[in-house]
Amino acid sequence: MSLTKFDYYAPERVEDACRLLMEKGEGAMVMAGGTDLLIKIQRGLLKTQTLIDLQKIESIHDITFDKDKGLSIGAMARLNDVANHPVIKEKFPAVSEAALATANVQIRNMGTVVGNLCNAAPSADNAPVLMAMGAVVNLVRSNGERQIPLEAFFQGPGLTVIQKGEIVTSVFVPTPPAGSGASYQHISARGKVDISAVCVGVMLTMKGKTCQTARIVLGAVAPVPMRALRAEKVIEGNPISKEVLEKAGIEASKECKPISDLRAAAEYRKILVGVLTARAVNEAAKRASKKPN
Amino acid sequence: MQEFVTIGTNVTRTHVRDKAIGAAIYTDDIRLPGMLHGRLLRSPYAHARILHIDTTKAKALPGVKGVITSEDIPRIKFGNWRLFPDTQDEYVLAVDKVRFIGDEVAAVVAIDRDTAEEALSLIKVEYEELPASFDIDTSIREGAPVIHEAFPNNISIHRKVSHGDVEKAFAESDYVREDVFHVHAISGAYLEPCASVAQCDYSGKITLWTSTQVPYIVQCLLATTLGMRENDVRVIKPHVGGGFGAKMELRKWDFCAAFMAKKLGKPVKFTLSREEEFETGRRRHPMRIYSKIGFTKDGMLTAKDLQIYLDGGAYNAMGPTATFLCGNYGLMLYRYKSYRFHGQHVYTNKPPASAIRGFGSPQSTFCTETQMNMAAEELGIDPLDLRLRNAVHEGDVIPELSKIGSCGFAECLEKVAEASQFRKKRKNPKKGRGIGIGCYSFISGGVFNWFNTQYPFSAAEVRVFADGTAHLLTMASDIGQGSDTVLPQILAEELGLKMEDIRVTSADTAMTPQADLGSWGSRVTLMAGNAVIDAAKKIKEKLFGAVTAHFNLNVIHDLECKNGKVYSKGRPDKGLTFGEAVALAQKFQRGEPLVERGSYTPRGKGLVTPAFSFGAQVAEVEVDKDTGLVEVKKMYTAHDCGTVLHPQSVEGQLEGSIQMSLGYALSEQFVLEGGKTLSTTFLDYKMPSAMDMPESESICVDTYEVEGPLGAKEAGEGLVSPTAPAIADAVYDATGYRCYDLPITPDKVLKGKTKL
Amino acid sequence: MKQLVTLNVNGNTYSLAIDPWRTLNEVLREDLNLTGTKLGCGDGDCGACTVLVNGRSVSSCLTLAVAVQGKEITTVEGLAQSGEKLHPIQEAFIEHGAIQCGFCTAGMEMSALNLLKQNPSPTEEEIRTAIAGNLCRCTGYYKIVEAIGDAAKKMKV
Repeated sequence: MSLTKFDYYAPERVEDACRLLMEKGEGAMVMAGGTDLLIKIQRGLLKTQTLIDLQKIESIHDITFDKDKGLSIGAMARLNDVANHPVIKEKFPAVSEAALATANVQIRNMGTVVGNLCNAAPSADNAPVLMAMGAVVNLVRSNGERQIPLEAFFQGPGLTVIQKGEIVTSVFVPTPPAGSGASYQHISARGKVDISAVCVGVMLTMKGKTCQTARIVLGAVAPVPMRALRAEKVIEGNPISKEVLEKAGIEASKECKPISDLRAAAEYRKILVGVLTARAVNEAAKRASKKPN
Repeated sequence: MQEFVTIGTNVTRTHVRDKAIGAAIYTDDIRLPGMLHGRLLRSPYAHARILHIDTTKAKALPGVKGVITSEDIPRIKFGNWRLFPDTQDEYVLAVDKVRFIGDEVAAVVAIDRDTAEEALSLIKVEYEELPASFDIDTSIREGAPVIHEAFPNNISIHRKVSHGDVEKAFAESDYVREDVFHVHAISGAYLEPCASVAQCDYSGKITLWTSTQVPYIVQCLLATTLGMRENDVRVIKPHVGGGFGAKMELRKWDFCAAFMAKKLGKPVKFTLSREEEFETGRRRHPMRIYSKIGFTKDGMLTAKDLQIYLDGGAYNAMGPTATFLCGNYGLMLYRYKSYRFHGQHVYTNKPPASAIRGFGSPQSTFCTETQMNMAAEELGIDPLDLRLRNAVHEGDVIPELSKIGSCGFAECLEKVAEASQFRKKRKNPKKGRGIGIGCYSFISGGVFNWFNTQYPFSAAEVRVFADGTAHLLTMASDIGQGSDTVLPQILAEELGLKMEDIRVTSADTAMTPQADLGSWGSRVTLMAGNAVIDAAKKIKEKLFGAVTAHFNLNVIHDLECKNGKVYSKGRPDKGLTFGEAVALAQKFQRGEPLVERGSYTPRGKGLVTPAFSFGAQVAEVEVDKDTGLVEVKKMYTAHDCGTVLHPQSVEGQLEGSIQMSLGYALSEQFVLEGGKTLSTTFLDYKMPSAMDMPESESICVDTYEVEGPLGAKEAGEGLVSPTAPAIADAVYDATGYRCYDLPITPDKVLKGKTKL
Repeated sequence: MKQLVTLNVNGNTYSLAIDPWRTLNEVLREDLNLTGTKLGCGDGDCGACTVLVNGRSVSSCLTLAVAVQGKEITTVEGLAQSGEKLHPIQEAFIEHGAIQCGFCTAGMEMSALNLLKQNPSPTEEEIRTAIAGNLCRCTGYYKIVEAIGDAAKKMKV
């Protein structure tokens, strides 16, 4: 099926991309992998007059790691690059797993982690873990830049805080503290390669057997990925026992606000939230115990 | 039993090399000089009166070459059941009314697809919306919206068969159960979207390339709807990317391409998008199945009362056949001493259901097999034993319907039980695990001539040459199942040639012999195979005559064609090479080439099929107690398909059927809202991926079907039927949840489970 | 506005003027007549349109032709060395009966190539994961998985 008509630019510098965005005004859009964007354009959900392809901007392809600061994933880093990156697999396994859980091989070879965030689907696979790990989005415009916590980035399905003329150039994940662990759990009711019916990202810091801090983020159960604050409270200050896991699951299940759609019924999504929250917390705790503080 | 040379070996399949290197041409790959592109305007309403159509703006768009509505074309109703013109309920483009979301209203042809698409948005149609019905209950209710005026109660087909006194039999039964099952629609989900390309020559004759399973049916119905003679229409089937039953009719785009090619004098192509395929494409009939069965206390079936409503959607399509067959399938596997069947085909304002692999069998068999499993439990009889006690055997008669030829059903049951250790595993349940069973019987083509063909059901022409080669011409359609391999393989066996000695030309209505009803109902191997043998026998007679004369053999000598030679069986030294024999026979005809026609039409074979195949399948599942997710770990299959002609292809059919049936059982469904299909992408119409597949182990039970070519009969289609009941039974074994309505989704499992 | 584009497909260089909204799939099939690459869905879900771009598998239906200028594009037509000598993946697909209707075949082979380039000795599970984005309705994937496993062995020889 053909796409609606647009002009195409592939600038080589971020500032050129920002300038083009401003110049071309309404209907100008940036594209990273294009796997979500082109489908939206094709279905007429987006009216695009100008497409600005970011692939030629070399600086934003990089994945860099500084052990004191953290991990920076450039806007053009493909999902498979993130999933298979040796440092990410070692130090941020849940980030790698979330990237690997996104769509299929071909889409992962094209699509990017940052693109997955900017597309802002409630079910975005990469959002929950990154949010749980306190990731920060780096936004650049012609006359400056700003950093926004991922938690404050999403505003609704397909909506983010990105302003006209702004481009997300990277997402930054702080190095997790000692004694911490993270997990990504996702499930579809219909098969192993699917948009998640529910996904959960968790990061915990443990001291001995006790959880000190917990961040639990639920995906596909609200207009945006959401913190399960009450479930976090259940866990913090407690050992990760079977009872605590179950209670956390129940709380998370209560506080999420899923809808029914063709992928799963709301009621079933609530059940899954409970199950996956417990599983994610449990795995995060296990991972934390392997990196004691 | 015969010993074979080529049959039973995995000769390299015809065309696979072309397919492997990307050289095989499918319809959308065809590019003709000056070719135009068409798109269809479809109804956005499920049921509405068309008040007015304004095509002025669309016609004025630069690049648009033509726009048609029902005003511009012959208003001729068509449908596959030509024998009963009342069932032919479709116009090419909607007349007065639209009956489902996606009903074709107009067609545009333009210089490219984008322009045609843009023109669609410029056609203004004024509709008056009518009340609509989206389910069986609404449609058959008093005062329901009338979908076709000719059928005011919305029931287009009734089918009744019965035998014996069912009521008396129930009264005398020790155990009787009644259940109602609901089964849903699935898509054939072939990978190649439908496409057609038409060309018209200066004399007005049409050539149509189309992605079809039934070139002959398309030829006839296209000629009728165009008001032309059959011979003025040539239909060629290029490579087809799967059909699974959903490509067995004349489709609207076939007509529009041909009509516009004739009108505009330029080739015209239509290719559907995947969204169109899912939103409007043919699908498996949803059914509401009521079934009552009776048993004696020792588990002998006494009677069956089967009443099925088929949700046919807006038009009959292949619904009449499905209505007949779902009844037949309900009566095939076991000895029912008395039975009663009433099938009713109901119109609703949804995309038409039609034939999808199994043709009424997956639905009906889900009910039969689930009830057998439930009865076994309540009677306290092992489900295998219950089946063995009631299983049909060779020579059995299905009263009023048919007689069973070769039958390896009992052996299938034993073999599958042994391979899966069914009895042991069933008695020693493991937490979260379950094992279940389902069986099937299937047809090798139908005997009922609903298309009212004036030709044999299948035909073949064999030409042989002095260079030792043969040319097989047949209208049989290879849509991926492999008839272009198996038919020459049969010929190779008969003539003692190698596969590489045989050229195949198939599925071109102007070049291959009249006729073949197409690839559906598992008819091709048996019917076209028999036609090939018929032609080969006639060729052999001529060769044998020549060899007999050449060596002055006594007329009592038995001759054969084998290993490239034609010789006396008793005196193998008295023989010629195949090519020499052909050259000689040709001399005897003073140069006339050796060409023979063969055909097959089932006669005196009852009302169902010339041959029945059988099988039993066991599923092992693991169920997640928290999420209700079912993972099928392994499928064990034992099936009886007669002689296995090409083992790899038989396995391939079996393995493919596991994929389709796994989807039917667990994940595939159309989600509709007010008649609008929401599952319009492969992302949301979820068929199993390579990661979702269970292990598979299979056994072919050895039988020889005398009615079939070299002992062969159906393979692979019937296998779509036992999988869902086997999985459902295994889920019951693991969880206590008994499925009455497919698919088995995890939320149903969680709600219904009584253990785990 | 059409753009002048140079595409490198299967080692051949093509100069074309194309509209920027056209997908690589359309340009391959319609402009270059390389119809071995199929279109099964247009949404990146079925994998029938898979090609390699700079050695990695992508959905050609979701790739803009203008965006792959200067990159090395490999389609199914570029797999075999000649009319006689097929690629080991193609040979294995033929031998194992991994091809029925053939519509998914080109995409499957390209996904197999993508896998075997990165992982010459994949496990069965790795093969299944690698073709999870390629749907097939005919084979149940069994013989395709076998064929890819065998192709891996053939490619090592």
